[in-house]
Amino acid sequence: MKKILLMGNPNVGKSVFFNRLTGANVIESNYPGTTVDYTKGYMKGDSEDFEIIDVPGTFSLEAKDKAEEVAVKMLEEEKGALVICVIDASKIERGLYLCLEIIERGYSVVMALNMWDVAEDKNVQIDIEKLKNILNIPVVPTVAISGKGFKEVVLSIKKAASVGVKEIMERVGETK
Amino acid sequence: MTLTADERWDLIEKISNKVVTFGKFKHTLKDALGELTVKPLTGIPIAITVLYGFWSVFSSFAGTLCTDGFFVKLFDGHFLPWIQSVFPGVGGWFYYIFVGDPAADNCFEAFGVLTSGLFVAIGVVLPAIFIFYLMMALLEDVGYMPRLAVLVDTIFHRIGLHGYAIVPSILALGCNVPAVTATRILETKKQRFIMMTLLAIFIPCGAQLGIMQEVIPESIGIVLLYLIFGYFIFGFILNKLVPGKSPEILIDVPPYQKPMWNNIARKLRMRLGGFLKTAVPFVLLGCVIVNILYLAGTIDWLAKTLTPLLTGWFGVPGETVGPLIAAFLRKDLAVAQLSTIEMSKYQMITSVVLVSIYFPCIATFVMLLKEGWKNLIGSFAVLVTVIFLYGGLINLIWSLLGVQ
Amino acid sequence: MEKKLSEMNYEEEGRVGSIKQDLKNKVAGMGIRVGKNLKMITKHPLRGPIVVEVDGAHTSLALSIADRIIVEVKK
Ligand SMILES: Nc1nc2c(ncn2[C@@H]2O[C@H](COP(=O)(O)OP(=O)(O)OP(=O)(O)O)[C@@H](O)[C@H]2O)c(=O)[nH]1
Ligand SMILES: [Mg+2]
Repeated sequence: MKKILLMGNPNVGKSVFFNRLTGANVIESNYPGTTVDYTKGYMKGDSEDFEIIDVPGTFSLEAKDKAEEVAVKMLEEEKGALVICVIDASKIERGLYLCLEIIERGYSVVMALNMWDVAEDKNVQIDIEKLKNILNIPVVPTVAISGKGFKEVVLSIKKAASVGVKEIMERVGETK
Repeated sequence: MTLTADERWDLIEKISNKVVTFGKFKHTLKDALGELTVKPLTGIPIAITVLYGFWSVFSSFAGTLCTDGFFVKLFDGHFLPWIQSVFPGVGGWFYYIFVGDPAADNCFEAFGVLTSGLFVAIGVVLPAIFIFYLMMALLEDVGYMPRLAVLVDTIFHRIGLHGYAIVPSILALGCNVPAVTATRILETKKQRFIMMTLLAIFIPCGAQLGIMQEVIPESIGIVLLYLIFGYFIFGFILNKLVPGKSPEILIDVPPYQKPMWNNIARKLRMRLGGFLKTAVPFVLLGCVIVNILYLAGTIDWLAKTLTPLLTGWFGVPGETVGPLIAAFLRKDLAVAQLSTIEMSKYQMITSVVLVSIYFPCIATFVMLLKEGWKNLIGSFAVLVTVIFLYGGLINLIWSLLGVQ
Repeated sequence: MEKKLSEMNYEEEGRVGSIKQDLKNKVAGMGIRVGKNLKMITKHPLRGPIVVEVDGAHTSLALSIADRIIVEVKK
């Protein structure tokens, strides 16, 4: 069964994603560090089923506390897994950092720009098409608490492939 | 190919410049509230109000409304006399274990599995943790925790932790079990050790708070003060003794958010479900075991043997051995049992504090073990020291004050 | 005018000028990087923590961390 890791900074909505995708019940709260251990769950797809893993939030792959260690270890153990990188769209830069680190390690990534509603409130505008083109991975705006964008995230799983960071750097240079 | 951190931030800068625009935005009421609750001048009074409100709702809902207003009447008025009369074999050991004292007129004193056990679990503790978890979920979901963390940072700094230690501390007030795992958000081994040790020793869980406000409403304040003082005094000492680093606070303060009732309801269901599935059986089992030990004469023997220590050093009656044994399984049960023992108000305060700082309940013990046996041994060494020093100190304070 | 982040006053705004090397990565994760604009939201007494706003998000940091970040304050 294909494995999917939910990774991202703390408090970006990974656990909401997990509960919605798998029907499980892990604790969701509005503070960083709610999830400190991983949880596995299952999701039925159209053609295949997936095992989904909710992982503690982390800022980078150099763990600075034990919860982050769990996340980094999980990623290292699941070499063949696909990663849904959940990002708080209103704080996209720090999310990109972790996402790039994961991409550099060769994982296939789908990027969920979650908290799209919060980003709109804060007037943070993101050009999705441009971002997609630069990264060459699926990028989907989502609002996890209402389920907006989830269908597209699930559909994008098929399209995710590993990309090179060198190519990303080249494409940034070419983009206007 | 992998990048260095600087190269990666460089790349992010470039990407961000091309795809993101940070526009001006209007500060809303949420943002204004966010700032008011994190600034010291306004934030500290608000925090005190919030915590005080938390406590008044907790004790009036659980104690006055549910337990006294409903369950006491139900259990003592109807259930107890009924089961005392229909349960077969008065005077036999089976009756003793399940119903307890046939002459008891309230469910605290009967001490049978089906009388005190059920009453404590359902009539006292369930309403307490219901209201506790409801309010905790509210605080969690609106986003108050990180702000509280900023406000208390300066104090926690003194004990080798930082403000974010408020998160495991508050979780522990619900139940110590998830709080032990939550210490993983602290950065170093030193901080995790201090936090785990302090919470296992000094933080009473929701079940225990519930029973305390029911059986010793007039002295619970003093008990809590002793626990809070102990938490900071021993935290201060541990910070000096435990080697290692204590990194300082660096946290994200997320914006406030409207509570989502379906999420709150779901968390409440999960946490209460967990209580019914794991805690209630332990309360009942605890009753069985303690009753068997009474029947076998073990407790009387222990009480006699340990009286010199208990009375001489801690100033409490030898009969507190029974509750101290029950405390291994459930602290709420232990406090309920203490309330039926004849002793003075001050002895009661000492013994409730002792039950709290004494060995963690078995579920917490298992959790501590999971986080590492080396830590556990360390925590236990601290625990034993604390019981003797602090327990003795409290007794000394009473003697100096001339009250016993 | 340049000053330490820890010396900034309430409501003062500035631009991050430099960050001590060993701290760089740690605070970068919180959005605090060289060139970013930030605003002081609050400072706590007794050398308590501060709260700053960067890109519309709030971060709290200990004063001793803020000591090692230099800010170009806007007049
Ligand atoms: N407005 C808004 N809030 C969201 C969205 N997604 C999640 N949230 C809220 O954000 C908070 C954090 O969600 P969680 O799922 O617990 O976050 P997490 O990523 O699992 O966090 P950690 O376990 O701490 O790493 C919760 O209060 C959610 O209700 C969203 O799209 N919009
Ligand atoms: Mg989570």
